Formats: sequence, C-alpha cells, structure tokens
Amino acid sequence: MKNRLTRRSLLALSAAGAVLALSACGGNVGGGSASAEFPSGPITLTVGQAPGGSTDLIARAAADGMADSLGVALPVVNKPGANGALATEEVAAMAPDGQNLVLLNASLITITPLAVSEEEAVSLDDLDVLMGLSQDDYVMVASTKSGLKNFDDIKNSDKKLSFGTTGVGTGSQLAQELILAQADVEGTTVPFDSGSPALTAVMGDQVQVSTVQLGEAKPQIDAGTVTPIVVFSAERNEFLPDVPTAIEAGYEVPVSQYRAIAAPKGLSDDAKQKLVASIKDAVATDAYKSFNEKNMLTPNEISGEEVTTEWNELAAKYKELTDEYSISLAGK
Amino acid sequence: MDFFGPVLDGFGTVLDPTNLLYCLLGVVIGMLIGVLPGLGPAATIAILLPLTYGVEPVTAIIMLAGIFYGAQYGGTITSVLLRLPGEASSVVTVFDGYVMAKQGRAGTALGIAAIGSFIGGTIAIVGLTFLAPLVASFALDFGPPEYTALALLGILLVATISGGSKIKAIIAAAVGLFLATVGRDGFTGAERFTFGNLSLADGIDFVPIAMGLFGVGEILYNLEERHRAVSAPLKVANVWPAGKDIKQASGAIGRGSVLGFFLGILPGGGATISSLASYALEKKTAKDPSRFGKGAIEGVAGPETANNAAATSSFIPLLTLGIPANATMAIIFGALLIQGVTPGPQLISNDPELFWGVVNSMYIGNILLLIMSIPLIGVFVRILRIRAAILAPITALITLLGAYTIRNSMFDVMLVVMFGAVGYLMKKFGFEPGPLVLAFVLGSLLESNLRRSLLVLEGDPSGFLTRPISATLLVVFVFVAVWPMIKSAIDQHKNRSMAVQAVNEKENA
Amino acid sequence: MQAKHAEHPPVTAASPADPGPVQSENDESPEALTPEELAAQWEAEAPERAGGVANLASSLVVLGLGGAGMALSVGLGLGTPAAPSAGMWPFIVSLIAAAMAVVQLIVGRRGGKDGEKFSAMSWYTVIGFATLILMVVLMPLIGFEIPALLLCFVWMRWLGGERWRSAVLYSVLVVVAFYAIFIAALGTTIPRLF
Repeated sequence: MKNRLTRRSLLALSAAGAVLALSACGGNVGGGSASAEFPSGPITLTVGQAPGGSTDLIARAAADGMADSLGVALPVVNKPGANGALATEEVAAMAPDGQNLVLLNASLITITPLAVSEEEAVSLDDLDVLMGLSQDDYVMVASTKSGLKNFDDIKNSDKKLSFGTTGVGTGSQLAQELILAQADVEGTTVPFDSGSPALTAVMGDQVQVSTVQLGEAKPQIDAGTVTPIVVFSAERNEFLPDVPTAIEAGYEVPVSQYRAIAAPKGLSDDAKQKLVASIKDAVATDAYKSFNEKNMLTPNEISGEEVTTEWNELAAKYKELTDEYSISLAGK
Repeated sequence: MDFFGPVLDGFGTVLDPTNLLYCLLGVVIGMLIGVLPGLGPAATIAILLPLTYGVEPVTAIIMLAGIFYGAQYGGTITSVLLRLPGEASSVVTVFDGYVMAKQGRAGTALGIAAIGSFIGGTIAIVGLTFLAPLVASFALDFGPPEYTALALLGILLVATISGGSKIKAIIAAAVGLFLATVGRDGFTGAERFTFGNLSLADGIDFVPIAMGLFGVGEILYNLEERHRAVSAPLKVANVWPAGKDIKQASGAIGRGSVLGFFLGILPGGGATISSLASYALEKKTAKDPSRFGKGAIEGVAGPETANNAAATSSFIPLLTLGIPANATMAIIFGALLIQGVTPGPQLISNDPELFWGVVNSMYIGNILLLIMSIPLIGVFVRILRIRAAILAPITALITLLGAYTIRNSMFDVMLVVMFGAVGYLMKKFGFEPGPLVLAFVLGSLLESNLRRSLLVLEGDPSGFLTRPISATLLVVFVFVAVWPMIKSAIDQHKNRSMAVQAVNEKENA
Repeated sequence: MQAKHAEHPPVTAASPADPGPVQSENDESPEALTPEELAAQWEAEAPERAGGVANLASSLVVLGLGGAGMALSVGLGLGTPAAPSAGMWPFIVSLIAAAMAVVQLIVGRRGGKDGEKFSAMSWYTVIGFATLILMVVLMPLIGFEIPALLLCFVWMRWLGGERWRSAVLYSVLVVVAFYAIFIAALGTTIPRLF
C-alpha cells in the first residue's frame, strides 16, 4: 500500500511538473513573457480608488477609447488603498512591458506627502507618465441658511464658522486651509470621509462651509441649495463662469486635482508611442468629450514630461505655502 | 400623481422582459450559492457581484435585488434541512425548522418560510415606498450628533439582543470597534495599528472580515464536525403548506411583518434582531409556549417573515441616509456605487427614476422568489445531498476566489483565511462573530461622527441633548440599556406571584 | 456516507415506491422522533462544553489584546476629552474589552454553557487551515489552478475520506469548473497559470 501510494504521488507530481512546463499560455502570474509585439494581450489599467468615484469613472472612460484604438481589451481593475499609493506602488514594481498601466491622481504626488510620513510618500521616479488627462476643480460652497454670499462674508463673520473638508491630505483640505490662513479666519475644520457627506452637511447647515469637487457640487449649486463662494482653479472655470477664483479674491491658492496615465519606468519606445497614440485617440472621441462635459472636467491633455514637471513644481509650491503659513495637514 | 407618477414609471422599467430575465437569473443563482453551507447572504452577494458588472445599471440593480432575495432564502434552506444557518438572522429558524424537518415536515417549513418572506418583504416594500421619502425629507437634519446616537444605539442593540453570553457579546463588539480603528485616522492623518503595511492604510475591509468569520470559520468548523454532520432528507414534499398550517402561521406572519419592518430601520443588524424578537414574541403570545423548539410552525413563520421584512426595510437608512444598517447592506451599498448610484439624501430627489427602479425591483425579486422557490426546492435538496467531502472544498474555493475578486487583492484573501481561523476559535470558545462584524461596520461611523460632533459642538457634550433627534435616540438608547434590568425585576415579581398562585391552587385542590 | 456510492453522482433519488415521509396531516412519519426524544438526542450529540480552562485562556487572551491595544493607543497620543487625539477612541474601546475580560474571567470560572472542547477531530481543522494558507501563499506565484487542485484533493481524500479515484476526478472537475466560471465567463484577474 505504502509503495503504491508513493508511486501515485510521484505520478501526480510529474503530472504537475508537466503542467508547469506547459505554462505560458495566457497566465497572468510571474514576469510577463517578453514578446516582441506590443500589445501582446489585454492591458490592465489599475485604479487606486474604489469603483464608482470620479477617478474610477475617468479611468473607465479613457480605457474604453484606448481599447478601441489598440484593438485589445483594456480592463479597469480597482485596488483601493492609501489614497492610491497601494495601486501605484504595485504597478511601479511590475515589468515595464506596457501591459500594466495605472491612473494617477496628482494629489497623491503633490498633497499626500504633506500629510504622511516620508517613507509612505509616493514619487514619480519609478513611473513613466504617458499623458495628462483632465483637471477637476474644487469649489467652496456655503449653506443657504448661513446667509454667506462671498468670501468677504466669511472673513467678516462674527460667528465662529465650521468648515467641512473631504478628508485629511486632500486638495479640499489644502485649499481651504490655505485660504483661511491667508485671510486670517478662525474656524473649526471638520473632516468628512468623502465629498458627498461634506456636501450633505452643508446642505443641512451642519457645517456652514465646505470645499468639495465641482462635479459633486454642481447639481446642488444649480438647484440653489448651496451657495458657491470661490473656485480654486488658476482661471475661472468654464462650468461656473460667474464664480470668482480665489486668486481674483486676492489669495494664492492654486489647488486642483489632475489626473494622468502612467506605466512602470523603462517602457520600450514602441510600446510608449503606441500607448500615447491610443490615449490621444481616446480623448478625441465624442463619447469621452461628453463624459468630461457631464462630469465638469476641464481637459488638460498635456505630455507625460509636462505632467512630471508640473506636478513636481506643484508639490514644491504646496510645501512652500504650507511652511509659510505653518499649516499642518496632519491635524494639530 | 406627484408622488405616484415616478413610482409607477419605475414599474415600467422593471417589467421589461430583459430585466425580468436578469432578476430571475439573480434569484436562482443567489439561492444556488446561498444554499451552500457556510455562505450567508453577505458572502453570496459579494461573490456574485462580478456578475452584475457587465450589464446596464438598472438591469444590474434589478439582478442584484434578485440575488439578495435568493441568497436570503438560501440560508433558510440550510437552516431547515441541515441545522446550518447561513447567517445570524436565520439562527432561530433552526430551532423549529430543523425539528419540523426531522418530523418529516421540511416541505411545510420551507414553504411557510417562502410565503412569510414574501408577505413580510412585500409589506416592507410598501412601507418603504411611503416612509423613505419622509425620512429623506429630514435627512438633512441628520448631523454628526444624530449619526453618533444612531450608531451607538445600533451597537448596543447588537450586543444586548444576541443569543449567547452578554459579556462575551460586548467583548466581541469591542474587538470589532477596535478593528475598525485600524488605518489612517481621518482627523489627524496618523497611521493607527497598520505596522507600516500599506494594505492596511485604508483600514481593514469589512468583506474579508465577514467572509472570514462567517464563511471560512464555518467551513473549518464543519471539517471538525463532519462526523456529526446531518444529511439532508431524501425528498421534500408538500412544499405548499396545508390550509391548517397557513391558518396557524398567519398571525405570526402578520406580527413578524410589522415587527421586522420597524426593527429593520434601526442600524445594527435589523434582520437578526427582528428574527430573535419575533421568535420571542411568538413564544410569548402562544397559547402553549412549550411547543416551541419542538416543531411549532409559528417558530419558523414569524422569524422568517420578520427577517425578510427587516432586510427590506434596512434599505431605508441605506437609500435615504447612506448608512448601511448591516453587513449585507454594506455590500449592496458597494454594488450600487459600482453602478454609479450614490445612496444618500440626494438620491430620491436627484434621480427618482433610479430610486424607484431600485425599490420596484424588490417587488419583482420578491415575487420571483416565491414563484421559483417552490419548484426549485427539490434541486437545492439535491445539492445538499452532495457529500460534504466534495462540497467543502468547493465552498472554500468560492470564498477565497470571491474574496480576491472584490478588490483584486491577495492581501484580502489572506485576511479571509486569518479571520477564518479567528472565527473558528471564537466558536470553540463560545464567542459569537455577529456582534464583532456589526460593531466593525458601525465602528468608524461612530468614532468619526463622535469626534465630528465634538468639533461642531466645540467639545460640549450637552449639545447632544439639545438637538431633538439625537436626544430622542439617546433616550431610546438608555431605555434599551436598562430594559433588561427592569424586565428581570418584573419577571421576578411575576414569578413570585405565580408561585403564590400555584401554592394557593394546590391548597384549594 | 463514504465510498459506497463513490462512482455515482452523489444524489440519491428516492425510489418511486418509497412512500414520501411527508404528510402534513399526519405529522408522525415512521422515522420521526418525538420532540422530547429529539431534544435528548441533541443533548447527547452536542459536543462537550469548553469548560473553565478555556474560559481562563480566552479571557486572558482578550485581556492581553486589550492591554496591548491600550499601550499602542497611548503611543498614538490620547489628547483631551474635548480635543481627542488619534489614540483616544481605540484606548476607550480597548479598556472596555479588557474590563469585560476581567468580568468574564470571574463570571465564567466554572466553565459555563458555551464553547466546545477541542477533540481529536480538531486536527482536521488544523490541516484544513494549513492548506488554505498554502493556497494563499502559492496563488500569486503559480496561479490558482495547481494550489486549488491540491486543496480539493487533500480535502476530499484525507479530510473527507473519498476514494482515490473519486477524489482525483472531482478535484479536476472542480478546478475546471472554477476556471470556466471565474476566468472564462467572468473574466476576473485572479492569478492563473493558463
């Protein structure tokens, strides 16, 4: 019996070995097979945010167009965690064969490092940024019940106001803290878990003011349930032409969210060219354009090199501003 | 017409043949997976989520409703036939349901459960139709203090109304609250208990916890208990209960519907609490309470009605306040987000079509469940006849691969296995996983709103009592907390007078 | 339960002559027991209670976890009740857990009515757990197919007492079915070899 057992086990083992030898037909583990042709199969676009959020929707809109252009499937995979750091580091460590891409949020590079310890901060060094996609602006809104109409009302309010943000280490927090520090306004900052509860809290006058992303606030601004105060983009936003920018109001707060697509560092020229061309095709489609319009996104389709320079500059700028006004994003 | 217009429009969408087909598919697959031992509704829905990715949003939501009802009923089938409740809310069904099966009345038990679920579910949807807009209308008055009070109440209910030792339930709940603090603190940005692991920076996802404690924990436990395993009956007949049975159960179904509906609105596992409460109520109102635990049909009909009514009405806090009341709702919450629907106060006014689509799809899911469960029970009994030795690894693989697909994370799969071991050990040492999971779900809600309240109220806790909604909720909280003491005092008093009465009667005789 | 029907599909249909045991008008079928008998049978079947030692052990584990939680929370900083820092809430929660563990230590010192003793069969659970861990470790390296096959085989052959032939056959069928569902039909990104 014992003998038979071992023989059977041996047989099973050798069968398993044979199976192993036969691999390399479509598996997705281990180092990618270095085939000369790009793309050699489906390309995965990893998103560091949960499904359904604006980042995820942007990834899916871009992936649709890119898949058509490249002629391969381009599934979007969500790996939420640590504001996208998890997904970004994972993709950065993959083989640079162009089969794995990641959708980047600028805030991960420019703002998150201000709130977390140094070893957690993510940099662009391990990535080849392919192309920028769009810009998503923040808008400060006030509750109708508070009667606040513009930033001067906030500045001159004799009541102590509370200010909602979409969370610690976000553009919403940075922008709001900067403008409040520059205007010397005393207030209580109340962090919420994301944009939607921060907005709801303003609608119910639970907090008097919140800074949220424009796409989220627009329906409520249109319905008149919240009052827009300022937008934080460098120039007036095309979707809210009547609302002044913070810069016009006299404050230096150039905070927006930007998004771009990147690949692990060391991409071959051929793969890079094909990928960039496919993104260009994707953003040129009508479907993508109307998606941008519907979600209040301003196209910002710049080259990967420009993205890298711009984001690094922004990171330095934010660092300088927070130091100047001694703002700490990581609480008291 | 203002109110009913959108409601009726919703029906048009739902009755589209494609949508009906997907709903049917959802019910059948939901039951199919839900019937596997160890997989409750939360795990089942989580596993089947990828099925809904590729279809149109409205269709996907309708399919989800089907999966939801199917999965709920799947848990009932194993409770009755195998003494294996799929989730906490079916635990009480085991008491009388399994005894009924032993007595050869499995068909009657399953049939009455299906009918009760249908009636309870339908009544709850009607209630939801009228109550949801009402709740949504004052949802804006829900600030941090109100959410704090609501979460506190939910956790208290979970800890005090669970079946076993109260102290152990509180310990489990405290561990759940602690696990919820893992990850980046939303107020200071400090990393809490992550030990430098980036996968933990956003905290532990509740799905691996639920799948591990309930799913893998149960699978591991069954490996050990296999020698005691119960085999399903060969054949289940008479699924449509006799008139006498229906008559006997009708009171329980009626009471269960109302009880379930109201308890379901509360956060913190409405379905579980209401099934327990319904069982207690039936036992109390019965002429002969001693029949309970020995195959009383009310003991199946009441809790099964109540848990379905509660499962349905727990959509109210989800759709109007954006609060998932229990683990299953939390998964539905995630599923709706994937479909681009953000449940919350704005949903009903911004997107009435979608809102009523979601609500009306529940009617259809519920009706299909009733229609499908009766012919399909035979099929499910056959699945349960498959030898446990073959079923167990299948269940384990479904759980592991399902856990991977939710966030495409191997780390989550590891967590599922680890929490599986914890779940097994908890079971061996007499701790219930239910309070842990639910406290975990409500934990971050409670902590962040408590701290947010302190910020808004500027550190003055009396602010909780000057706001009408939070004050009311806190009064209820105190009442629930001290009620067991009052009750035991009353019981003691009653027992004494009854004893006196008995003695008197004896003397008279 | 074991090898007898191994070659056949696991479903045993009732023979047509079999008078269905179910008659709702007539509750007592031949094999049904009275509720009292059932209750007695369940009581006898029920595993032994965990007992005092288990209570001591589990209470001490919780106490230890609570203590560790409090120590780590203090490390995060407590702040003041009006302006709590990151460690305040976990500290309170750990304190509750530790306090309840002490109460349980005293209340449950004689054992109580919950929990179950470990038995010789508990080794099955340990083996099952080990295969699950192995699967999690191997999956990212060599894909899910081979680990899944091994897991099925171990669980069926050794933990389930299936015969060699049926264990091999069903293991292969299960893995093929999973491949068809998760990879071919649902298109998930589960690590795979093929």
